[in-house]
Amino acid sequence: MKKIIAVMLVAVLLAPCAFAQDKPGTAAAKEFWVFKDKGARENHFVPSGWMGDYGDVKLNDQSTDNPYSGTTCIQFVYTAKRTQGQGWAGISWQNPANNWGSKKGGFDLTGMSKLTFWARGAKGGEVLKFKVGGIGITPKATYPDSTEAEIGPVELTDTWKQYAINVVGKDLSYISGGFAWVATADQNLEGATFYLDDIKFEVDPALKPEGRKQEAMPFYVYADRSSMNNHFIPSGWMGDYGDVKIDQASKEDPYLGDTCLRIIYSGKATQGARWAGMYWQNPPNNWGNVDKGFDLSKAQKLTFWARGAKGGERIEEFKVGGLMGEFSDSDTAGVGPVILTTEWQQYTIDLKGKDMSYIIGGFCWSMNIDVNPDGATFYLDEIKYE
Amino acid sequence: MKSSTNKRSHASEVTGHRLLLLAACGLLLVVCFSGFSKKPRPAVYIKALKNSRYQLIVANRPYIVKGVCYNPIPIGLNQDYDWWSDPYKPWLVDGKLMQEMGINTIRVYRTGENPESVKQVIRDLYENFGIRTILGHWLGFWEYPCPLYGDKEFHERIKKEVLDMVAAYKDEPGVLLWILGNENNYSCLGHVNPWSTEEIDREADPQKQKCLRAKIYYSFINELAQEIHKLDPDHPVALGNGELVMLDAAKQYSPDVDLVACIIYRGKTFGNLFKSLKVTFDKPLLLSEFGADAYDALKQKEAQDMQAFFLEAQWRQIYDNLAAGKKGEGNCVGGTMFEWSDEWWKHNPVDVESLRTHDTASNWSNGSYYFDIEAPKNMNMNEEWFGLVGVSADEKESGIDKRVPRKAYYVIREFWKNPAAKKKTEKKR
Repeated sequence: MKKIIAVMLVAVLLAPCAFAQDKPGTAAAKEFWVFKDKGARENHFVPSGWMGDYGDVKLNDQSTDNPYSGTTCIQFVYTAKRTQGQGWAGISWQNPANNWGSKKGGFDLTGMSKLTFWARGAKGGEVLKFKVGGIGITPKATYPDSTEAEIGPVELTDTWKQYAINVVGKDLSYISGGFAWVATADQNLEGATFYLDDIKFEVDPALKPEGRKQEAMPFYVYADRSSMNNHFIPSGWMGDYGDVKIDQASKEDPYLGDTCLRIIYSGKATQGARWAGMYWQNPPNNWGNVDKGFDLSKAQKLTFWARGAKGGERIEEFKVGGLMGEFSDSDTAGVGPVILTTEWQQYTIDLKGKDMSYIIGGFCWSMNIDVNPDGATFYLDEIKYE
Repeated sequence: MKSSTNKRSHASEVTGHRLLLLAACGLLLVVCFSGFSKKPRPAVYIKALKNSRYQLIVANRPYIVKGVCYNPIPIGLNQDYDWWSDPYKPWLVDGKLMQEMGINTIRVYRTGENPESVKQVIRDLYENFGIRTILGHWLGFWEYPCPLYGDKEFHERIKKEVLDMVAAYKDEPGVLLWILGNENNYSCLGHVNPWSTEEIDREADPQKQKCLRAKIYYSFINELAQEIHKLDPDHPVALGNGELVMLDAAKQYSPDVDLVACIIYRGKTFGNLFKSLKVTFDKPLLLSEFGADAYDALKQKEAQDMQAFFLEAQWRQIYDNLAAGKKGEGNCVGGTMFEWSDEWWKHNPVDVESLRTHDTASNWSNGSYYFDIEAPKNMNMNEEWFGLVGVSADEKESGIDKRVPRKAYYVIREFWKNPAAKKKTEKKR
């Protein structure tokens, strides 16, 4: 017992020294490792935060298959089988392990400029997003990270390539989620095997803060199921949400590419609202509570193609923007009511004179039971800002 | 010397002649201009400045509408009560409080039944407190059956009501302007109080139906505006409009309105409102209804901080977009907050018990008032809690429910005293 107490005492005394050694902002701390090699004493975070379809992911943290440096790298195999029915999966490196913001464990990384890592795909073409921080921010946990930043979707190559997430100007005073990746089944139809190595924060005095950039046109809401150009997610279910089903990979006569969107509205008024609708949001489920709007100032219009299964389906409105919250969309515009035909037709929402500098709600439709008493099935494709 | 004197004398003579000539010309100019200016400027008018910036001019001076919507229904009564004839004259108590706050305008949605009572209210407010009155007309929006803007009989009846109102009150010095309708434009979309005509019914395309309704409605507005101008050149006519919805049609069919009076509930920011209006319908803007409630539907308690936070943010943007504002579009002439005092009848106007209860049930949802948007079913807007002053069910003052100013009353009072000062209210979740 005395031995245990002595060991604990030493550990407690040494812990602050270990933190102090690594504390960024000092002359010595030019880098701060998330993961170097299996068992390396420089590792500060643990890949313990398994998210989404966690059953679809296998991790080998001592892969010797052509590591970028050292003797090992981390191999991930994502099967995209949707084991938990989510359609996406991800892993977050946390401190301490399994900390979603309920425990103290954030590092003060003030002074760091970027997070860098090396990545390669087994085949090339694997599509992922990579992220820093973000633990416990939404919904707010007891010990939330002080910021978050991300890049992607990124298409990996089959050779090692270094990527960087710019964190200049971000509040890095408390980071318990050192790094994370996220993959979706739609963007990786056959799954993805990929490798990561040398994940670390670095100081780069020449790096400037990353402003909100004006997105180049065309900017897609939906191109094809697996397209990495899809920038918004159909996550904003409204009204009788139980009446709506959406297939994001319908192969029933897409207008362009190999898939289109099929939406089935049963008109059963499951929630008693007598109407239903859906917003494409960024990020998913953002009703204006997350500061993640795209700057689409260059857009002059939004165009999309639509058709009905039978013809005569009436959509009350197709809309862009208009989400109101702490971070509201900067403007809104729409077209409607529209009566669909069985032939694909292109519709345009004119954005001239609109302020599209901050858009969370990329696209939206709404319809009601009064004019669609038997429900409706309709298709959408090629939704894009131009 | 002599010659020199003569020269000077000659020069003086010439100068004298010139002066006489100048004086004669000046006199002629004065006579000419006084001839041209026989027609006096209207008492209230819109002055267009460069770059589509506008000012409201009242008594020859720029006037910022620092206003409030006013409907002082006592606890226990509902919207049918004709408060204009209230023997306790609540506007005298309210007017004093308003004056102390800095309010210079009230907006009323409709006039009372007795014109003499209405005139008395307008006079009392103006003569005692310097507060002007904006008079409005619903244009039959809440009639049953729904308003029939395409029906000639309905059309003529409403026109008569409006012109009777103008004729009755136009000579009251306290009148500021007229507002036609409120959110009646939504009926053109068919969502609220829908109406139709045979021609519209024959049209299969719903977008064209919408356009046909808009043409009828906004043409009617224009006709009213023209008639009012003939009858009363001294006061501007505003188009009451919900948001900026359908103002592209207003541009086409209502060119004779002088300004747009918009109803806007967008939380802490009006967003692109001012610029967007300039692009769609280049008229001055009065924010005729905006604000925030003072009840947190999530925490289930009164939230004066929340209301003050939103109102201060909204007034800052109004000031930024006045003609003199440096940051904004310069097309705003002020606003009338919703509203002066809580109205306890609103949640359920037909339930006697509810009329005596300060209901906390929410009536609608609006995500831009985000502090309590996570309330059950996102229902966060509490219609009975919009007052800058609360009303007491326990205490009477001068015969009326005692007024209890909320934090917003003081915050906006201070803002108006010094609009350039830094923000006072910070609201954290």
